[in-house]
Order: sequence, then structure tokens, then C-alpha cells
Amino acid sequence: MTERDTALTAIDPALREQLVDNICSLLPHVLKREVTGATADTTLMEALGMSSTTGLELVLELEERLELEISVEELGRGDFGTVGSLADYIAGNLVPEA
Amino acid sequence: MAVSGFVPPGRMPIEDLADRFGLTAMQMKIFRRYHKLGEVARDPHGSLLDLLRGAVGGLEALRGQEHRVRYVLHARTFPTVVPYPHNPVHELCQEVGLGHATVLAVGHHACASGLLAIDTAGRLLDADADPDGLALVLAGEKAFTGEAQMVRDTSFFGEGASACLVARSGERDRLLSYATDLRGEFDTDVEEVALEFQRVYADTLAAAIQAAVERAGLRMDAIGLIVPHNVNHVAWHQVCRTLDYPRDRVVLDNVATVGHLFCADTFVNYRTAQERGLLRPGEPYVMAAAGAGLGAAFSAMAFQH
Repeated sequence: MTERDTALTAIDPALREQLVDNICSLLPHVLKREVTGATADTTLMEALGMSSTTGLELVLELEERLELEISVEELGRGDFGTVGSLADYIAGNLVPEA
Repeated sequence: MAVSGFVPPGRMPIEDLADRFGLTAMQMKIFRRYHKLGEVARDPHGSLLDLLRGAVGGLEALRGQEHRVRYVLHARTFPTVVPYPHNPVHELCQEVGLGHATVLAVGHHACASGLLAIDTAGRLLDADADPDGLALVLAGEKAFTGEAQMVRDTSFFGEGASACLVARSGERDRLLSYATDLRGEFDTDVEEVALEFQRVYADTLAAAIQAAVERAGLRMDAIGLIVPHNVNHVAWHQVCRTLDYPRDRVVLDNVATVGHLFCADTFVNYRTAQERGLLRPGEPYVMAAAGAGLGAAFSAMAFQH
């Protein structure tokens, strides 16, 4: 088991749900169009046509909205699979406040 | 093959380009934080001839061997690199005693044209079957138009140049293999195709690297180093994930400080690797680059130092 897998198993379900909700509510803003019915299972690139840059913008917007710092060092294409996979990444890669 | 690189001392923060391209604060933040681009090299009062002269001036292996040079190839990202009727490569050849050489431009592989030019140089020398023949491969361009300054959502171009002296055979560095994947389907401005290009970019570049390594009869774990183009960090991190290759063995040192030097990146980065002592005698390494314009090219070469 890798360090990352360990981090995933330790994700707080309430935090993940909060992140999923916030990602869904930010989608219209970053995609600049109406988005309805998005859930944790919605695919970002295939279903929503999100570009990699828009995905990165979404993460930065989320940081600002939630006043969190997210480590982006390990953020890869696989993490942008679905709303849920992005929430998993973020939940497992929050930088603790100093 | 002997290599030299030249990067002028001038630097411009990428924020200075934001207004010209109408980039938002968020887009600049993405460039800084994720792509890890910061400054681009600029020589505001210098010409392309100055850049190329700088690279050739640093190529010690050329001294006294000028008469052996049969070909001078200029690898270009863009087909037009200076306004008509200037021809800086011809001027340079006259200056440095290469007026006798056949001069040609090599392009249409965008930023991967530098590797194509190395392959072309080897083929030309091979066809001549002249054991003394040499070829000089130049790269480097001026960021003198809008599209020669920025690749949308991806990178900023910097100014610099490289010069490589290529022989048919020799001790080091020896070219072991070359792989290139040309993807003409990306010759379009259709947004869906641009998204598809983004989606396949890292995997296709990784596949080109893998193909070059396999053609050299090697496995990835034998490759001591990847000497990349300076597109950005995000793209290379994804290539590393795909290849399961450690990212600290990809020479990304110059991405933040000079930008994407057209076709000269890989050669300037080679010099950085050499200066840092990262190239070990006998150890294989890979040079790799990808570029898009009218279609896309994903290329890699395996070498032995």
C-alpha cells in the first residue's frame, strides 16, 4: 500500500461530501455555462468537456472559497476523472495550517 | 555529438505578457503554481543571428574542424523565423568559416524539429559515406510574433539557442535510436480536438519515449535521465506517472527561469545536465520533445553518453 492509498482510506466522509458539493456548485462558474445534476460520479472531461486548465482553475477557486491550501504536487490527470475523484485528491492533500 | 547552449541574460516575468494576451489573474496563477513557469529569457536588442552566434561560439568541438562541416541545419518550430529577406544562418556561416557548407532548415515537427534535425544530419552524413564529414545542427528562435510568445494554456516561449556538432560515428554521445509519432489529426482549431490533444499529450509523448528506449534494446529502468523540452512541469509530471519514471530524473531546472526555447530546449537542458554532473559515461539517457502547430509531433531519442 502506498502513502497515497493510506491517505485515501483516512478521508473523512463528511469532508469529501462537502468538497463534492462545493465542486458541483463551482462548475458553472469555471465552465462559464449552466451545469445541472452533477454528482460525485460525473466525469469532468468526458461528460462536462472540462479542459485540463479549467480543472486547475477549479482547484484554485476551491482553495479561495474554502480558505484552504491544497498541495498540487501529486495532482494528476487521473484525479480529474470525476467530481468524486477530485474531491478524494483534495481531501487527502490539504496542507495543514501553519 | 557535441552540444552547446546559449541563453541571453535578459529575463521577463510572465506577468509582463499577461496584458498583451488578455490573461486573467487566475490564468497567471495557474502558469506559476502548476506549470511552474516564471520568467522567460529575452534578448530585446539582439537578433536571431546574435542567439545563434552565442551557441556556435560556445561549441568548442567545432574549433579547427570547420572545413569538415558539410551541412548546417537550422531546426525551427515556426517555418518563418525572421522577416524577409534576412537569412541569419547564411550570415552566421559566412562569419564562422562555414560558407562552404550546404545550409537548410528543418521543420514541420514544431518543437520536436530539433530531434528531427539530428536524425536528418545523421542520414545526410551516412548517405555521403564520408568518414570525415560533420553536420552542425542549430536551434533557437526569436519570440517576435504573438504565437511565438505563448502557447495557449500551456507555456511561454523564451529566447535561446543551441548548436550540436554531429558526426557519423564516434565515442560519445552516441545516438542509439529515434522514435517520432506524427499526429496530423490535430491540424485544426476545433475545440474538441484541442481537448483531445490535451488528453493524449502525456501518454503519446510517453509512448514515443518508450518506443525510442525499446528500439535501443533497452528498458526504462536503464535510462539514467530524461532531457526534456521546457513545455511546463505539469505535462512532464504526467509523462513520469505514465512511465512510472522518477520525476527528479527529468531535467526541469530551466522551465521556470528561461521558458520554452522553441527547439533549443533539449540541447540547453543537456548542457545543464552535464554541468550538474548528471550524465555518466556509458549511461543511456533520452532526449524528448513534443510540439503542435499544423498537426502534432511527439519525439524521443535514446543516446549513450
